[in-house]
Amino acid sequence: MLRTTFVARTIPLAIVLLGLCLPAVTGAVPSSGGRALGPHMAASTPTASLSASFEPERLGGRTTLRFGFQIAGPGGQVPPALTAVSLSYPESLGIAFSRLGLVTCTTAQLEASGVSGCPEDSIMGFGSATAEISLGADLVGEPVPLTILRAPDEEGHISLLFDAVGTTPLNTSAIFPGALLPAPAPFGGQVSIDVPLIPSLPGAPDVAIVRLRATLGPSGVIYFKPLEGRTIVYQPPGLLLPDSCPKGGFPFAAQFSFVDGSHASARSVEACPARAARRHSRR
Amino acid sequence: MIGFLKRWRIGAATVVVLLAVLVSAAPAAMARTLKATDTAHLYKVSVSGSNLIEQGKATGTLPGKMRATVNIGATISGTFTIYVHGVGTITGHGTAIPHGSGRFESFKGSIVVTGGTGRYAHARGTTGLYGTFDRESEDYALVIQTTGTLSY
Repeated sequence: MLRTTFVARTIPLAIVLLGLCLPAVTGAVPSSGGRALGPHMAASTPTASLSASFEPERLGGRTTLRFGFQIAGPGGQVPPALTAVSLSYPESLGIAFSRLGLVTCTTAQLEASGVSGCPEDSIMGFGSATAEISLGADLVGEPVPLTILRAPDEEGHISLLFDAVGTTPLNTSAIFPGALLPAPAPFGGQVSIDVPLIPSLPGAPDVAIVRLRATLGPSGVIYFKPLEGRTIVYQPPGLLLPDSCPKGGFPFAAQFSFVDGSHASARSVEACPARAARRHSRR
Repeated sequence: MIGFLKRWRIGAATVVVLLAVLVSAAPAAMARTLKATDTAHLYKVSVSGSNLIEQGKATGTLPGKMRATVNIGATISGTFTIYVHGVGTITGHGTAIPHGSGRFESFKGSIVVTGGTGRYAHARGTTGLYGTFDRESEDYALVIQTTGTLSY
């Protein structure tokens, strides 16, 4: 079992909101029309969509992977809290040759000092997640910046850390551990992420992650290395695309697990560059 | 005297049959085993996505040249041919799990020898596989060490 760490900090604005919304929140978990989900609603499953693309998308070239997902609860409600995500990527994608994550950052370093306490060369990507909480009849969304970092191996697997730092209204930070695991063809592997439960307010459901957008690659990443007594600043080369496109495009898939025991899955195919160019020109 | 000759003929025939059986069984009985430890330093021939074709020098019990097609992902898998100087080739496939971070990623797994040519036409065996991959080198340098017993 991979270690899961959750760091909850103060929640000043949420306390203000609590005062405004407490009667609605604590009255009852609504069975219809409300946004919170109880165990009795586990039969209704959330739905998910997945997106993935390469930037630039040039066969045989270096690239940054942009990926994202969106989760919707049954009947347009807030989905239950996410507990795990598994993202499978194409088998031809040269992640090992990216020269990303040359050093590691530990959970303890992140907890103590945040991303600034980690070596720059451990950063592998950036992103943003949107967390939603139900406060009575109101829905509060919080965009949370993400940083993806290389972590020391766990249980023999290459590991990652997803550091999310929210400021308003929850002022909550969380560290999601991820592991690189094998996956059956046509996938080259999967990033398996444990998502800790993030409490919102007393009596209210845990925070639900409804959207995530992230990059894995050199876009926005700067590394440093010593050379002849000086420090060189450089951008790592990035993921290596194959010389030829897999038949049918680059396949991606995601599986989502939720706190109420429900699951959702989504697939996405990034078209081969020629088709992608035609598709973009039609837009 | 006649009885002695008959017994001699039966005995001689038996010896001939036994010899024939022994001769036909000889190749199997003569299968040899070799405890081998080899190290190969491989460099990029070509790369496409997560797939590498590498070749380089192998040293150790079976010195020669090695060529490998390797996929480096969540697991490392590939096929290889060792060209042993002047005596034949050894072919097979292997898988390994990568570990570690930093410039050198290490991996550990196993190799299955499935055949070959020349002296090693009937080569078979399973050996341990250890290695490192230089993530910063322009030529994607791989060091592979195999150790185990080969029958051929």
